[in-house]
Amino acid sequence: MNGKTAANLAKAPQGGNVPIWKKINPRMIFPALGLIMVVLIFQIFSGGRLLTANNLRVILNDVFPILVGASAYAFILSQGNLDFSIGATMGVSAAVAALAAGITPILALPAGIIVGAVIGAINGFSHAVLKINAFIATLAMQFILGGVILIILRGGVFSVPLVMLSWNTMTLRLSVLFAVLIAGYLVFQFTPYGKYCRALGSGIEAARQTGVNITLNKFIPFVVMGATAGLLSFFSIIRTATVSSHTGGDLLMSVLNAVLLGGIPITGGATSRFRAVIIGSLTIAFLNNGMILLGFVPNTRQLLQGVIFLMAIAISFDRKNTKVIK
Amino acid sequence: MGQSEFLFRAKQVYKSFGATKALKGVDLEIRHGEVLGLIGENGSGKSTLSSIIAAIQPADSGSFFLNGEPYAPVGTANAVHAGVCMILQEKGTFDSLSVASNIMINKEEQFSRFGIVSHRKMERAAQEALDAVDASHISAAAPLGMLSFEDRKLVELARAMDGKPKLLIVDETTTALSKVGRDILYEIIRRMRGAGESVLFISHDIDEVMEQCDRVVILRDGMYIETLSKEQFEAPVIKSLMVGREVVDHFYRTDLVSSAEDEDVLIFSNARAGAVKNVSFAMKKGEILGIGGLTDCGMHDIGRLAFGLDPLESGAVSTPAGEIKNPKDAMRKRIAYISKNRDQEALMLTSSIKDNICLASYPKLNTGPLVLPHTENQFVDDLIEKMDIRLRSSSQYVMELSGGNKQKVAIAKWLGFGADIFVLDCPTRGIDVGVKATFYELMTELKNQGKSILLISEELPEVIGMSDRVIIMKNGLVNGEFKREEELTEAKLIHYMV
Repeated sequence: MNGKTAANLAKAPQGGNVPIWKKINPRMIFPALGLIMVVLIFQIFSGGRLLTANNLRVILNDVFPILVGASAYAFILSQGNLDFSIGATMGVSAAVAALAAGITPILALPAGIIVGAVIGAINGFSHAVLKINAFIATLAMQFILGGVILIILRGGVFSVPLVMLSWNTMTLRLSVLFAVLIAGYLVFQFTPYGKYCRALGSGIEAARQTGVNITLNKFIPFVVMGATAGLLSFFSIIRTATVSSHTGGDLLMSVLNAVLLGGIPITGGATSRFRAVIIGSLTIAFLNNGMILLGFVPNTRQLLQGVIFLMAIAISFDRKNTKVIK
Repeated sequence: MGQSEFLFRAKQVYKSFGATKALKGVDLEIRHGEVLGLIGENGSGKSTLSSIIAAIQPADSGSFFLNGEPYAPVGTANAVHAGVCMILQEKGTFDSLSVASNIMINKEEQFSRFGIVSHRKMERAAQEALDAVDASHISAAAPLGMLSFEDRKLVELARAMDGKPKLLIVDETTTALSKVGRDILYEIIRRMRGAGESVLFISHDIDEVMEQCDRVVILRDGMYIETLSKEQFEAPVIKSLMVGREVVDHFYRTDLVSSAEDEDVLIFSNARAGAVKNVSFAMKKGEILGIGGLTDCGMHDIGRLAFGLDPLESGAVSTPAGEIKNPKDAMRKRIAYISKNRDQEALMLTSSIKDNICLASYPKLNTGPLVLPHTENQFVDDLIEKMDIRLRSSSQYVMELSGGNKQKVAIAKWLGFGADIFVLDCPTRGIDVGVKATFYELMTELKNQGKSILLISEELPEVIGMSDRVIIMKNGLVNGEFKREEELTEAKLIHYMV
């Protein structure tokens, strides 16, 4: 059935007859335009302070957790699911990792990842097996973890051996970042698992009736997301050497805004692309940084992030398709 | 003039859905006291036109007159008030309400004092409405969800008739009804005509239309084609007007011999689950096994069980390689399944043609851990060519395709997967007569390749025309089994269905 005939070859490039402007989906170019606009606006209003070598280094540090987190989040969102517990997962993982670091510093890495993966597995189990709406299950998890971190920290702040600060090199960050992005891109775009994730977002019953294992494919992305939050908790520790109840607090809003602004519709599905992770994360990092440059106080920044979240959903929400399906 | 000759007139009705022009300037006239048939292929615009008359959706343009007065209802309640009632093709009732609440919907004020509805009064009135349509066996107090599909249609009929309509629109309702239900409906239609009221009767079934109607209007591709009066009725004429060309009658299998290899490939033994009470049969290799019956006789569940979609209460569904307990099992045994609800369950409408076709076959399209676009494209282009799917590009959304092409995508998915057993539930539902022939040819071809087909269908001619063996189900049980032969007729099979 794989034989390629001349007739097929002649038939294959049919799409080429369509004028190029008709092939461009507005949802594909909006995210890139958004990124360019954010960079231009803040570059102008900050008097050119946005795109300086020093500031770009700061932005690279800021974008690291967003990019890594969004790489894992894209799989959840492509199924049309949400995870509201990623910030709290990162916080609890960081607290346990800090305890482990007290024994031997390097234990912090496996401890953080394992704790994150276990929390993710509980999320995945609640949703895939107990069939609780992922939004509800992870929201509940966020509240639970908010309590857990206060119990572990006993209301205080943990410090870790200062030697760990020396691990925080640009080389390590960049290698981890590129490894995650390349793996994420290949798995998302070119493996059966990545394709099943989008199929679940596009038509879950059709996927089931084509033999796709729904439970397993819904479970895995939550575990990976948890482990990724655990990995990020390690990088948070080696950057600041402390853990408080605020650790991981920014992660959820930044990552969620990134994947949505990047162009993955909140309903998930076939139009989800991995480039959304990169475009969206850069947009959010430039936006956050630009607001600091312009002297916005943290409260205003939070308010604006909420507004951006709502706008991102309004833009990305696939109304046309929803009308057909519902 | 006093009263005009026509009860209802529509002039130059236009309606588009996006780029699709459903109606292109259609005229329709309904006389007092006549039963007017409206007939056409799927997509000819007959359901669109009738739903516009019943004010379910507005027309883009056009003028309407009821009794010579301009008629422009806003919403169905308004149309009912003007005397136009419609019984829908699909489900038009509310499951969670009682029968009485369904019948008296929008009329609750008649039974209420100070805003509180008297259920006793409402149920009494509803029961009277049911009695009036000879459906006394239905209790007005029962929750509607408890009723069979057929009884729900009768509830709808009671609701429509309770409004004392001047114009009753019946849209393909009879496909859901048994003989008893149909007779009730025909009796109501006769009474309407006798009282000088009018009926607009929409159906696929040419014989039924010829029997029930005084005149028939034929639509094709959203355009008015012809009006025939009773003495001009002739099935071949109507058929060719519908399709727009001569219709050859032998688009089913031409041989009349039942044939199959002597090897069981799919075995139901005392299977019981939901609507399926206790079913045993064995399908042979190279056999087309037809399953017929009324909508809720359990035949659609047979298809789901064959693919392991529902858990069994007792008994077993198996192949020689073992039992089928879930879709993964079924696929390991090279079984394919296409649901009757194709758009929701067999296809991902908002995904590309390519994604849909490849979905079943990723495990074999791998190069290492990856599925490369080149491999995918080659695989898909072959199947598109083979199935002759009309498309712009394989990246096009399935949503944009016609019913026939959608079904071709669903079949291409399983051909590519390499299935040996095809479980097809109503495979030609919603597909034009012209395209149907392609599917029948394909089925014959698959059979000749030694594949087996379980053909579940509500259309008896199709079951008779294609199957080597026919099983008729009734109330969740096998009620008759017939070999392919020339003497096998619809009349004979219907006897075992009801």
